[in-house]
Amino acid sequence: MAAAAAGSGTPREEEGPGGEAVAPPPQAPTGAPGARLSRLPLARVKALVKADPDVTLAGQEAIFILARAAELFVETIAKDAYCCAQQGKRKTLQRRDLDNAIEAVDEFAFLEDYLGLSGHTQSNQMNS
Amino acid sequence: MAERPEDLNLPNAVITRIIKEALPDGVNISKEARSAISRAASVFVLYATSCANNFAMKGKRKTLNASDVLSAMEEMEFQRFVTPLKEALEEQKKKDKDKKTDSEEPDEQDEDNDEDEERLEEEEQNEEEEVDN
Repeated sequence: MAAAAAGSGTPREEEGPGGEAVAPPPQAPTGAPGARLSRLPLARVKALVKADPDVTLAGQEAIFILARAAELFVETIAKDAYCCAQQGKRKTLQRRDLDNAIEAVDEFAFLEDYLGLSGHTQSNQMNS
Repeated sequence: MAERPEDLNLPNAVITRIIKEALPDGVNISKEARSAISRAASVFVLYATSCANNFAMKGKRKTLNASDVLSAMEEMEFQRFVTPLKEALEEQKKKDKDKKTDSEEPDEQDEDNDEDEERLEEEEQNEEEEVDN
């Protein structure tokens, strides 16, 4: 009576106690261009979403996309601000570069009220 | 601990890394600028959430879903984000599926939606499974 320990014909393990078969690959290949990890912690994004009193629930996918969108936003605004710094031939991004970018780019208009731009008095809002 | 929603800042280290990767090598960023960007990102999330919630309410849903957020991006004039976000979502879904098939050996070649149903049960946050655009 041979114990069934040594394969009885099917070498495959039909029971996976803890997924020991294959080591799961580390999240995403960082070498591929454009394939980036979502690095902003979803928990913090979720906290921001919950801060809105009108929001009842948010699905996991929604949180994930918001996190990614926030990353894209950071990239975008950093690049736009850098254009201003480049004009000043500086290699360090300053706060004023950011302010300039916010003023110059329409899409960033929603930031004007929140960041408390100091020294920039908006006499009249030129929103169309 | 946070007094206002805008004070819920995202981790500085991550923000800094994203900024540095967006900019050419050798470019630095002042602490003030970085902190302003971090704050701006928080505001962005708040604003996007609010917009997305409007779409959810229009659809008479109580749960924000991915398409609400995508619609919000267009509304906020960040259409250029929509495509990369959709791609990111697809990647994430694939990863989730891979994780599932990793724990369960793909012996069964049934193409039923059993896995999807399992996901539905686990992800109770998604009340409605809508086709996402």
